[in-house]
Amino acid sequence: MAIPVSQMWTVATYVLKKRLTGEKRYPLVLMLEPLFRCNLACAGCGKVQYPPHILKKQLTPAECFAAVDECGAPMVSIPGGEPLLHPQIVEIVNGLVARKKYIYLCTNALELKRRLPEFTPSKYLTFSVHLDGERDHHDFSVCREGGYDIAVEGIKEAVKRGFRVTTNATFFDGTDPNSVRGFFDEVMDMGVEGIVLSPGYSYDKAPDQTKFLGRARVRRLFRAILSNRKPTWKFNMSPLFLEFLMGDRKYECTPWGSPAFNIFGWQRPCYLLQEGYTETYKELLATTKWEEYGVASGNPKCANCMVSCGYEPTAVIDGFGTLKGFWGMVKGNFSLYKDKHALNLLNEAMPHGPAKLVQIKKPAHSLEETNA
Amino acid sequence: MTAEVAKYTMAQVEALELAPGFEHEQLEGWVPALASDEDLRQALGKALDYRGDVTLTLKSGERIEAYIFNSQDGPTLAESFIQYFAPNAPEKRKVSYADIARVEFTGKDRAAGKHWEAWVQKYNEKKAAGEKNIALHPDKLE
Repeated sequence: MAIPVSQMWTVATYVLKKRLTGEKRYPLVLMLEPLFRCNLACAGCGKVQYPPHILKKQLTPAECFAAVDECGAPMVSIPGGEPLLHPQIVEIVNGLVARKKYIYLCTNALELKRRLPEFTPSKYLTFSVHLDGERDHHDFSVCREGGYDIAVEGIKEAVKRGFRVTTNATFFDGTDPNSVRGFFDEVMDMGVEGIVLSPGYSYDKAPDQTKFLGRARVRRLFRAILSNRKPTWKFNMSPLFLEFLMGDRKYECTPWGSPAFNIFGWQRPCYLLQEGYTETYKELLATTKWEEYGVASGNPKCANCMVSCGYEPTAVIDGFGTLKGFWGMVKGNFSLYKDKHALNLLNEAMPHGPAKLVQIKKPAHSLEETNA
Repeated sequence: MTAEVAKYTMAQVEALELAPGFEHEQLEGWVPALASDEDLRQALGKALDYRGDVTLTLKSGERIEAYIFNSQDGPTLAESFIQYFAPNAPEKRKVSYADIARVEFTGKDRAAGKHWEAWVQKYNEKKAAGEKNIALHPDKLE
């Protein structure tokens, strides 16, 4: 169990209060994007392709605090862009810690080691470092040789200084589950609190894509990765969401569970699709046609999405809002998910060639480009 | 949007091995003909998805360079508007569809050519040439 009890208690009581008051739609994690500027140029990233005058803009600390206060979510994820490029990121983080929000500062860690002395360790602050796999795979994924080593240096320094640290990875078609399992061993050896992961997704703002992991293939991949776990692996995620990825649970999307706020306003309907903006969170909730999103809606833009920003809120609400879900969560925290069939999946030849996640000499055409 | 919804059944979606993706349109340099209200709505819809600046010519003759990030499509042009950032102004601005005479996709498309295959090709070429520390770098902020 990687998530501290105090954080689980905060989220559990928050969900229960909402349930008792009969509130139907409420946020769990605010996706606060203070800027879109980044110091990486990952191929196909749909988050950073803007004209320079947009990339130069950033939210002020006051705008960040107003958004956090208005939506009231107990957790705040700070993606981007690269948040550590924001000149007032320390002020933003300190303001959120003062508000007792559990913060996940998502970073590629290229600047982490240099900027760590400016931050103070707190149970409310976690550095969530983007690592997409073992060294070769990560470097290829973020289009920068040497990126893995810099990130790992940052992780080790943060752990040494007493910060909470997780890694976060996105997996695409062509991923070798054996390599991912080796990667899990690597990151746990670095002393991180836990692993965060999500399948890639062809959201339409990512430039130029033709085919993507469908839901059937996502489930097969994650069944191979996440079954027969080693006791040393810890996941900083809801076990029910991981079961959803493995195909053991059917969930619908909860797009309002992770609302996104950035320089344009409150993004409709979710962190990945950009179908307009509102000035307030209240307006976002009231005016978005929620019935037009999620797999059950039939909307093709949502057809292959199993991403954490939409489905983990569903899993968390299930886990803390129902007895059955709670029991599933307790069991999931202690289970190693023994599965003989999944072991066989690990022994199957990779459809695009054996061994490494990315075959640099023989690029896998099925690897796609939506590194968010 | 409503017409797109219900394209798939839940069972179809659950069984998808590969899901259809999104094809990036080449819009840079395009100047759509605006013969009707519907043409204007379509052009502004594409401008909203475009990852570059557009130039709007208003019926007053004023020309505006804008990154369009939001729109509200109402029953009439007068009740519809776009929201944008102009390069030299800090605040969000708004203009009614009814005031727009011409739309030009003048700014560089920042998403064009930035796909996975292009990176793989570039990597292989640089590797073959013996280069070290191969990387893609963010565009300069001019």
